[in-house]
Amino acid sequence: MTALGQPPPGAARPAHPVLADPVLAARATSLLTGITQRIGQVLAQVTDIGAAAESIAAATQATGPPLRRDDFSPLHRLVTELLRAQAGLAAGAGIVLAPGTLADAPRCIEWWWADPQAQVSKLHVDLDPESAEFYDYTTTEWYREPERTGQTSVAGPYVDFICTREYTFTLAAPIRCAGRFIGVAGADILAAQVERLVLPGLAGLGRTAVLASGHGRVIVSTSATLAPGAALPRAPRQAGFTPLAGPGAGQPPGLLPWSLFTVPTT
Amino acid sequence: MGSSALATVRARTLFAPLDAGGRAETVARRLAQAITLGLLLDGERLPAESQLASQFGVSPVTLREALAMLRDLGLVETRRGRAGGSFIRAPDDSQAVQVESVLRLLSVHELRDIGDHRAAVAGAAAKLAAERALAGDIATLREHAGRLHAARSRTERRRADARIHVEIAAAAQSPRLTREEMSLWSEVGDLVWLPVTDDQVAEVAAEHDRLVDSIARQDPEQARQAAERHVQAETGRLLDLRLRMGTA
Repeated sequence: MTALGQPPPGAARPAHPVLADPVLAARATSLLTGITQRIGQVLAQVTDIGAAAESIAAATQATGPPLRRDDFSPLHRLVTELLRAQAGLAAGAGIVLAPGTLADAPRCIEWWWADPQAQVSKLHVDLDPESAEFYDYTTTEWYREPERTGQTSVAGPYVDFICTREYTFTLAAPIRCAGRFIGVAGADILAAQVERLVLPGLAGLGRTAVLASGHGRVIVSTSATLAPGAALPRAPRQAGFTPLAGPGAGQPPGLLPWSLFTVPTT
Repeated sequence: MGSSALATVRARTLFAPLDAGGRAETVARRLAQAITLGLLLDGERLPAESQLASQFGVSPVTLREALAMLRDLGLVETRRGRAGGSFIRAPDDSQAVQVESVLRLLSVHELRDIGDHRAAVAGAAAKLAAERALAGDIATLREHAGRLHAARSRTERRRADARIHVEIAAAAQSPRLTREEMSLWSEVGDLVWLPVTDDQVAEVAAEHDRLVDSIARQDPEQARQAAERHVQAETGRLLDLRLRMGTA
């Protein structure tokens, strides 16, 4: 593995070679590991819900009748458990099914959300394609990535205009039946909650720094001029950013392909 | 949601007290919009006039004026007698007629003001989207712009159009601008496609392509201008149609 803060072999030589202080890089790595593990706990519960949905689909298919919406009602208990266990972090959770999976509904969202007091309510979404308010979830990143890769994914941050109506991450795990993708299990985490967990540690690094997604979107920042939601330059090193931790610093991407950088002072 | 909970939500949104200066037109318009949004259904009976008047915070005289306007537009029917009252008339095939009724109840001044509000939100969203959109966001915008070209009915076009504008606000990474676009589209979205003739559809779809292009080029000022000009063109078509309708 490349030493922290150094470009990987073959990478373009940065215009201004910058090396992260090893102590700083170690603290940044620990911060990134902490948030990754915390989100990993939620993702583990999402994966459990996906596995339970797969068991239901497999058992129903084995006995013959087509899948119906009510077959998945036992998942409500697991979703409620997730929302209670992850209160303050997970804002919503549930499953969505691929069009045509159910015999009694063309599309299906079984999703619940938790208010700040962890009261759980069902989400109501207009799934009638004839309606002007129709919501097509099959075009979202959190649905498409598990469909494409067969793996869990962490989409966002993005503006979730259906469930939370806030700046959100959606963790998702594919649901498969007889080798076929039939939907995803997922959970929503508000970007503000991730900020609450990360900002103290980020500020404690003693340098202006950002946590950025694998797409290069600023998630948490101690810079007033590079606020959350901003896009990082395409080549952060060349733009004077010093990679501290994550794939941006040459570390293998873990559960989350997120990276920490210091921000150049101009 | 149970029917009583639904009734409560509807009562809160439909029958919230009006601002000072609210008049019969405002009451009539709010009821007409509720009909086009499907919140009030064909054959549904409205609450008693005195109750409705106090819910809207208007006098019984003003409420009766509003009901008279809705009767003239064919949206409400009043029956006498023991089983009497005011009933919603909204057969499924009359959607275009209903939307026209909503337009007729809006003054030219209000239409211009709605246009100004929409242009401000769409312009700001487009500018920020040009600054912040990543490759994935651009792909989403192009996909929805493509859906507008492929849309065949007015409902499909309105839906694709609303989605593009909501997605631009989402690409701006702003939950508030996104919620604002959603609220504007649910309020006045049905009007936008009303004056568009079949031979104008391709041009309107091309306007969206140019807007998405300027966001993809990461040109914030051009994106803002493209969005503002686009909304202004829509407002112009609506004003034109409204003026041709004459007075209600």
